[in-house]
Amino acid sequence: MSILDLARSTVERARALGAEEVSVSVSRSTELSLMRRAGKLEQATQATSRGLSLALLVDDRFSAHSTSDLRPEAVAEFLARAVAATRVLEPEPERRQPPLVECGRGATEAELDAFDAGHATLPVEARRVAGEALEAAVDALPNRAQVLSATVHIGDSSDESVRVMSNGFEGARSSTGFGAGVELTLEEPGGRRPEATSWYSSLHRADLPGPAFIADEAWRKAAERLGSKPIASGRYPLLLQNQVAGRILGVLGGPLSGGELHQQRSFLAGRQGTAIGNAALTILDVPNIRRGLGSRPWDGDALVARPMPVIEAGVLKNYYVNTYYSRKLGVPVTTGGRSNWVVSPGSRSPAEILRDTPRCIVVTGFLGGNSNGLTGDFSFGIQGLLMEHGEVAAHLGEMNVSGNIEEVLKRLVEPASDVWEWSGTRSPSLFFDEVQFSGT
Amino acid sequence: MYLNPSRIGARLTHFSSFGVDADLCRRVLRTALARGADDADLYFEHSGSTSVALSDGKVNRASTHVDLGVGVRVVVGDQVGYAYTEELTEAAMTQAAEVASEIARGNKAVSPVALAERRLGDRYPTQQPWEGVDLETRVAMVRDWERRAFAADRRVIRVETSLGDSFKHVLIARPDGRLVYDYQPMTRGWVVCTAQDGEKKESSSANLAQRAGLEFYDEAHVSRMCQKAVDDTLLLFDASKAPAGEMTVVLGAGSSGILLHEAIGHGLEADFNRKGISIFADRLGQRIAPAGVTVVDDGTIPHARGSINTDDEGNSPERTVLVEDGILRGFLHDEISARHYGVLPTGSGRRESFRHVVLPRMRSTYMESGTLSPEEIIASVQNGIYCADFANGQVQIGAGDFAFYVRRGYLIEGGKLTRPIKDVNLIGNGPEVLATIEMVGNDLKIDEGGWTCGKDGQSVPVSQGMPTVKVSKLSVGGASA
Repeated sequence: MSILDLARSTVERARALGAEEVSVSVSRSTELSLMRRAGKLEQATQATSRGLSLALLVDDRFSAHSTSDLRPEAVAEFLARAVAATRVLEPEPERRQPPLVECGRGATEAELDAFDAGHATLPVEARRVAGEALEAAVDALPNRAQVLSATVHIGDSSDESVRVMSNGFEGARSSTGFGAGVELTLEEPGGRRPEATSWYSSLHRADLPGPAFIADEAWRKAAERLGSKPIASGRYPLLLQNQVAGRILGVLGGPLSGGELHQQRSFLAGRQGTAIGNAALTILDVPNIRRGLGSRPWDGDALVARPMPVIEAGVLKNYYVNTYYSRKLGVPVTTGGRSNWVVSPGSRSPAEILRDTPRCIVVTGFLGGNSNGLTGDFSFGIQGLLMEHGEVAAHLGEMNVSGNIEEVLKRLVEPASDVWEWSGTRSPSLFFDEVQFSGT
Repeated sequence: MYLNPSRIGARLTHFSSFGVDADLCRRVLRTALARGADDADLYFEHSGSTSVALSDGKVNRASTHVDLGVGVRVVVGDQVGYAYTEELTEAAMTQAAEVASEIARGNKAVSPVALAERRLGDRYPTQQPWEGVDLETRVAMVRDWERRAFAADRRVIRVETSLGDSFKHVLIARPDGRLVYDYQPMTRGWVVCTAQDGEKKESSSANLAQRAGLEFYDEAHVSRMCQKAVDDTLLLFDASKAPAGEMTVVLGAGSSGILLHEAIGHGLEADFNRKGISIFADRLGQRIAPAGVTVVDDGTIPHARGSINTDDEGNSPERTVLVEDGILRGFLHDEISARHYGVLPTGSGRRESFRHVVLPRMRSTYMESGTLSPEEIIASVQNGIYCADFANGQVQIGAGDFAFYVRRGYLIEGGKLTRPIKDVNLIGNGPEVLATIEMVGNDLKIDEGGWTCGKDGQSVPVSQGMPTVKVSKLSVGGASA
């Protein structure tokens, strides 16, 4: 049976059991990953996987279920239990599906271009060769002798899924994914073994950077961690590197969500239309970027995926409100969760900004930390560099950066020009006025 | 009435739970070994989970999940080939075994012997298994928890509660004839509370987890969980931001075991040491902490979230002493690392599910009690902070730097706890912090919360514990220098 037929028949059977609304997703995927270390293949994993998930409304009561046991008799029992279980809950008509007219595709398969047709015929041998090439690039590093351990990873996957809803929506998606990465561990006097990882993923195989690029970057990141130490606590200008900017911007994620607003746990409640950051800050949610890692044709409710401003010139424009929370909160629906975040760049490169800055901390990585959605306060461990007029003055570790996300975003001086496109958060490096760091 | 399969008797249910038999397992193992491997295993898993959740005064959400499959692992030295399938037919399993065996290029001829079941002791006997508990009972429980939280204080404005439970049937077959079955229950209760005092709002939560059935939720546990969610929320009204910079830190008994988990636990997982990438790799037998510091990783604590009757390679978990009176004594081993070091496995080989390879992992990590009272320890600090409640942590295995996030604590001024503080990240270097443990309390407590450890993209349930401990220096990520 095709996955579409399975999804359709599951909807019909759930309705026959008494469910008035049903949404079924069925997916099938393959994955292959290789890990090499010390000149040999250390781990190879290969599998084909499948699963079915189901959301039910029975007498206006809601439940969600999933299974990987797709034997017909097991699915029948699973469905019967799921429908029966739903009846003991309390009714909540806000859970009803959106009308069909709001559902559908925001971008065509061709526009999203998420499926690399070459994946199906890619021989296992090609992955072995790619792994060897990546390891060879590590071995060719000028400072290879200082590397205590190098592990390389190569992986790819192919997913197809269908969604069928009782409101009449039917959709199919397919995508591929490719990844390549290098983990390096160096050694320094005193026994510390600083490590760094350079990891890239893309939807098409041809979009991955070459082996030398990945190996060089892993070396540079690891070398930046040699001899790292804390410096005195205090307020320093901050250049937040593009690759890790998502960690600070992500503090907004919970407080922007309809669920947290509804539970009165968001410091952003009532702030729509007001400034929560400097005018230099613009963040758009863009679901239709070609080959974008966070792109999608529809959202979790199957609503047509459309671009949406989140913060425009510092002003909070939209929350993430799905159908359910829009009914609960009595506000218009936007979308339940983020796709790609696109942060508008500025005109100067990080190097230009740093050259003109007498002293600042460049944050290149995070360690631990968390935030409080009711206040916007955050505290994260960091790694980074102390830079003076564009020159590295010290390698930093064992330090924290802390503050209030709104205060910090208002201290944004300028975004740099270097947008990082290898992530669902497409941000340039961000340069902030003084931010609190704690060290010694 | 529903009978717990672990008590019906192995032969009746093991294989029928998966629809396979001993001869089939042996045939698949033979295929896995056919290209000349050292070893192989089959890991069958059938799991089910249920959760019910209350918000807005309604039990308005339920979910269930069923997972079934088998992972086939082929081992050649320290090389691993792995494949899995959700289809438990001979054809699908044989294909998985062939794929996994592609890593092998040897000329060994290991032949699987007849499977014989190894009986296990039960560290989590379950009186009322979740498979026999109807949904109405669960619904009544989360309602009761909500009622208790609202009743505890009139400032409580929102309560969300949820109950999750799961069971896992695991069957492991090895070419040396070992056949190991385990039934692994788990449950977690959760209460999230939001309170309002004037214009100020605060939110906090409490959760309890155990490998147990319905009987876990007795009056003592339930009232403790609900009261803690409310108390922790209300305390935040008086809390201010923590200071910044290096200071003396006292870690309260219980969940501060997160310090051990990050500062030393991961660094002693033997795969990192086999690869030479842990800061502890060359320190076996050396002093890494002051006398009086003994750190243990234990898979045998009755009903603990991190406990297991068998590890996921079919080895018996043990109480592994990692640091004894300050001396580094051992690592946490799976079979591959144990072979590498020429020692016995410690029963630490774990995996998230049949979709994942085995890795050395922690189970319940804790420090043994010392002799001092918590009061004496606090009284010894002129200026510092006391950490009471933790959220999450992270470590860099090689550099040894680690961090953990403190949801709630107190300033210590003149030997006394003074104003409450909240939301602060602490960072330090594992070996340096271990060396600066100054005092160990007599009040070891294994935390009852539902901790989950992530490594290489795999999550496994763990426990942790600690007596009150004083560390002379950690960097506190607070607000003002």
